[in-house]
Amino acid sequence: MSTSLTAQDFFQQVQDGSALLLDVSPAHAYSKAHPAGSYNVPFHRRGWGQEIKRALNGQTPPLGVFADNTVIAEAAKESLTAAGLSVPFTFDRGVKGWDQEGLPVESVKDLTVDELARNLDNYVVVDVREPYELRSGIVPGAINIPIGQLQGRASELDRSKPHAIICASGNRSASAASWLSQQGLEVANVVGGMSLWMGGRHPVERV
Amino acid sequence: MIFIPIWDGSHGCASFIVGDDADGRAIVVDPLAAIGADTYILSAAEVGLKIVGVIETHVHADHHSIARELAQKTDLLVSMGHKAPLRDAFNPLHDGDQFDLGGVQVTVWETPGHTPDSISLVVTDKTRSSDPWLVLSGDSLFVGDVGRPDLVDPTPESTERAALDQFHSVHDKILSLPDTTELYPAHYGASACGGLFLSPKPISTVGYERRWNRFAQITDPQAFVTEVLSLLKPPPVDASLIRDHNLGSQQSH
Repeated sequence: MSTSLTAQDFFQQVQDGSALLLDVSPAHAYSKAHPAGSYNVPFHRRGWGQEIKRALNGQTPPLGVFADNTVIAEAAKESLTAAGLSVPFTFDRGVKGWDQEGLPVESVKDLTVDELARNLDNYVVVDVREPYELRSGIVPGAINIPIGQLQGRASELDRSKPHAIICASGNRSASAASWLSQQGLEVANVVGGMSLWMGGRHPVERV
Repeated sequence: MIFIPIWDGSHGCASFIVGDDADGRAIVVDPLAAIGADTYILSAAEVGLKIVGVIETHVHADHHSIARELAQKTDLLVSMGHKAPLRDAFNPLHDGDQFDLGGVQVTVWETPGHTPDSISLVVTDKTRSSDPWLVLSGDSLFVGDVGRPDLVDPTPESTERAALDQFHSVHDKILSLPDTTELYPAHYGASACGGLFLSPKPISTVGYERRWNRFAQITDPQAFVTEVLSLLKPPPVDASLIRDHNLGSQQSH
């Protein structure tokens, strides 16, 4: 790590609400475990820093980059810096390293497609794909809230029931599930999404 | 399945990222120095994949491998056929070993011939079919050709033995796959590891090669060996140096 700020220092700022910690890992890894209070923005090389700058909407909080690999952490920092954002903290030792620092880790509950099929009656299934994607079939009874509308429509969900969040492959649903979980809902992410649901020959409803 | 071929046309070398988008894990096969270790890490990350295996189909004698650096940067050991005479620690692979990447299954087949440690990787997407979808054939069966048998030990006896191994690897193993199986060898075009009939096209199918590859047409082992030996090109001048580099760090200069 080439930063003078310790993980403890930076985490304190995240808890104060004065800094943002970005977990740049793929959604699968984030879903399994991530630093408490971090946001998942998987890194890519197509203007990633600019995307984050736009999402921040004029705000310029100090940003921390969290990754489990030096190459990815450095590339993410470079992309943010090139977009004019300030990155006083990077961490490249993953969840294991975070845990070794004595800092809290959270996770999103996983649900396999077989577990969901066996307990379908117990879950409200929320499909976060775009409407056109539903033509390939949905889990019977699933409701559709495209991920972009989730913040505005989370109030439609019944807080007394457990929710199974699903998408095409389990990536978007992992992000959605972690956000809903932070809002206090009981949620689980369906691993592998509709790809594994259909691969496992589970029933689909055509819409 | 996510399948990303990464080619270096100047050396006729192929490398691959194979992963499962529904699972988030991937392997990298035959990573190339000309491409750079970081490119593999970032290419995998941005399609949601974490590299959990770095595999070499054999000890290369034609180009510098970057497998060790990539493995180091991803906290892994390089995986190779158990017969590889590597000087560094590696994860030895045996016939039938599998990399389970969720819906995608990668099975190791030992296919000696080009080198004694050569392996091929048979890839199946279980969410589509139990049929193998593609094979990464390393330097066994090429598009239009087969891997040359003389780069490890150029003596006539060793070369002949290796050519006979190659016959069995190609005929009993690779050509036992269904016709629809896609074939992605480690080399094409300008590569020094193929023979006079190596196609500049990097991909084929098992069925196409079964029908049109001259070495697939020869069903007699001895006739195969004779044909391979009679068509050998001169070895690349720096083959032994490159091979020595790829064998590991503790070199005796």
